[in-house]
Amino acid sequence: MTYKNQTYRALLLPLFIGSLSATSVPALANDQTEIERLKNLIEELDQRVKVLDRKREIASEEASAKQKSAPVLVAGENGFGFKSADGQFEYKLRGLLQLDYRNFDGDAFPAAINGFTARRIRPTFEGTVFGKYGFRFTPEFGENKAAVVDAYLDARFDTAAQLRFGKFKPAVGLERLQGGGDIKFIERSYVSNNILPNRDLGLSLSGEVLNKKLNYAFGVFNGVSDGGENTTTQYVNSEKEFTGRVFTNPFNDSDNFLRGLGFGVGGTFGNSTGTTAASNLPSYKTPGQANTFFNYASSVFANGQRTRLSLQAHFYNGPVGVIAEYADVSQHVKVGSNTATLKNDAWQVAASWLLTGEDASFRGVKPYSPFGAHGGLGAWELVARYQENNIDKDAFTNFVDTGKANASAAKTWGLGLNWYLNQSSKFALNFEQTSFSGGTGSKKLDGKTENFAVARYQLAF
Amino acid sequence: MPYKKIIQAIMVATLAAPAAFAAEVSILNVSYDPTRELYQDFNKAFAAQWKNKSGDELKLKQSHGGSGKQARGVIDGLAADVVTLALAYDIDEIANRGLIAKDWQKRLPHNSAPYTSTIVLLVRKGNPKGIKDWNDLARPGISVITPNPKTSGGARWNHLAAWGYALRQPGATEKTAQEFLSKIYKNVPVLDSGARGATTTFVERGIGDVLLAWENEALLAIKELGPDKFEIIAPSVSILAEPPVAVVDKVVDRRGTRKIAEAYLQYLYSDEGQEIAAKNYYRPVNEKLAKKYATQYPKLKLFTVEEAAGGWAKAQKTHFADGGLFDQIYLPGK
Repeated sequence: MTYKNQTYRALLLPLFIGSLSATSVPALANDQTEIERLKNLIEELDQRVKVLDRKREIASEEASAKQKSAPVLVAGENGFGFKSADGQFEYKLRGLLQLDYRNFDGDAFPAAINGFTARRIRPTFEGTVFGKYGFRFTPEFGENKAAVVDAYLDARFDTAAQLRFGKFKPAVGLERLQGGGDIKFIERSYVSNNILPNRDLGLSLSGEVLNKKLNYAFGVFNGVSDGGENTTTQYVNSEKEFTGRVFTNPFNDSDNFLRGLGFGVGGTFGNSTGTTAASNLPSYKTPGQANTFFNYASSVFANGQRTRLSLQAHFYNGPVGVIAEYADVSQHVKVGSNTATLKNDAWQVAASWLLTGEDASFRGVKPYSPFGAHGGLGAWELVARYQENNIDKDAFTNFVDTGKANASAAKTWGLGLNWYLNQSSKFALNFEQTSFSGGTGSKKLDGKTENFAVARYQLAF
Repeated sequence: MPYKKIIQAIMVATLAAPAAFAAEVSILNVSYDPTRELYQDFNKAFAAQWKNKSGDELKLKQSHGGSGKQARGVIDGLAADVVTLALAYDIDEIANRGLIAKDWQKRLPHNSAPYTSTIVLLVRKGNPKGIKDWNDLARPGISVITPNPKTSGGARWNHLAAWGYALRQPGATEKTAQEFLSKIYKNVPVLDSGARGATTTFVERGIGDVLLAWENEALLAIKELGPDKFEIIAPSVSILAEPPVAVVDKVVDRRGTRKIAEAYLQYLYSDEGQEIAAKNYYRPVNEKLAKKYATQYPKLKLFTVEEAAGGWAKAQKTHFADGGLFDQIYLPGK
């Protein structure tokens, strides 16, 4: 039995193994084919994925290259516009809108009118071509005007040398160089409004040298009366006025306390000759710009040399800023056979304090937390100013218009609160009280007072 | 004696004066895509040689991209002092806009081509798809990498090399050649804008079975990535590519850089310039150096663009202009 079992096993086992092998060979062959097929499929899919990735990469490179040459649209707190990818060509639209409510009180000008006014409505079109040549055009539509405020061309050869030609602010006074949207008080001081030139037609060369520590500007202009601005028409005579200013920020690259200190001197020199019909002489207004406290008599006219001098300084440290300026003007005048050289002057000291801690500067304020965004309060600023405008006493012998309100000195102190909602919007409240002294005739303002309260909403971009 | 010290001071000042007044000048070479390494080496040598000769520091700036795209860039205002492009037609386009004198090609030897090259087939090591010649590129299942002829000069050489091959086949006509190219472009999954981009696609991204490449580009790929990764298949016949160079007259006259720009291009023909070209796998036109480096290039029968397509002006009009042959036949991907 054992032998037979062993025999059967010996016979059956190979048969069994053989039958198993016979069915496995085609199965294995099929598996091999399937594996090969799957391998090819995987390779094909791998290639497709790589191709898709590469196409995406190429598209991204091409888009990036296109972006480098594509013009850029700009819309933000500094205005709207567009510029070429390389920055060589740029066009910007900016704007300044100031809406005021003005209230006059006091016994100096009882007939003064209170009410709303659109103080400035100024769109500005400015741009650059070929990287170095700029232009600016600003019309004024505020206070029922349609006039040109700025219209000039720049050639910026270098930061140390820039030519400007057209109608613009001659660089003489410090406060005047602050933009109308950046000034701390609602109106500029006597220094800017009553003594130094506002805008004139001419040509200037200016620049920054010595690592931006020194600014200079020299120009030649048609010449304009105190605080005045010329129109864009040709001047009536050939006399020219020369202007110059140098201003230094000696510590602007240091970290010390004096980093924000700047000081300088400016002036004008030229001849101004008028006629009884067109005197070329100014009148001097009070801070509200609505009332006049000094006028030359109608037959008085400018008769020769006019010289101005401005001493100026500013200081900024953290949230506190101070600006101080003195200016005087010396003008030859004539009425009938009487001539004189009259010297009028003005000065101011103004301080500002950003209660919300932003850094004070000559330019505008950028609130840390704009109003309305994540509970922000905007930036709040307290401002205070003292200013004086003094008229030469010799003006009151033959030259003053005694038929109008007149005073030999106006002394003004003022307080204000500015609320910067964001970099573009601002509410402002000012109060200024002016005390007058001197004068002559029945219209003298000696001992009288003007109170001026004003609220403003400003949008600037 | 004090006057001796004065004379010594004057002598020192006189010797130092050239160094004190040595100027730094810059020129821009706008080139086609694969020449980065060539001009890196060449610029170093030329700047050193210029400094020795004139004492002036020279800043040599480069721009690389598809030859057609580069030519358009110069026409649109890119201030190139010299152009070193892939084909004469691209420089002719610049000349037609008045930026280069019309007779530019006669100003330097060998039709202003200081080196030549050709088109070869770069495949993966072991040539797994068995690619031996141009006709294999038209086989179904073969993935061919070539750049876009609309932007790349190398791509236009590739296209005309395949075209020239097709016209040399027995019974060939323009129709059969067009069908042949149609099959090849059907096998092209992605078009780069330049030859270097196509090399990146094939070599670094691992896409495709064969790269139609500048010979110098193929040899560089093997040198940099190792002969264990790729191999060159020399087709039975290929095209003689003559990348030319030219001074951009309008720019150099405006910038006052004509003397340097002309010296720069002439230096390409000097022994040192030709040696640098050969070391970067371009075929030097200098016969002595061509013999010296002959063994590094595959043996190829070459035809010219005139023989393949009647010259560049005709080739551009027939094949690559808007609505030309390429526009008619290119089918992206599979």
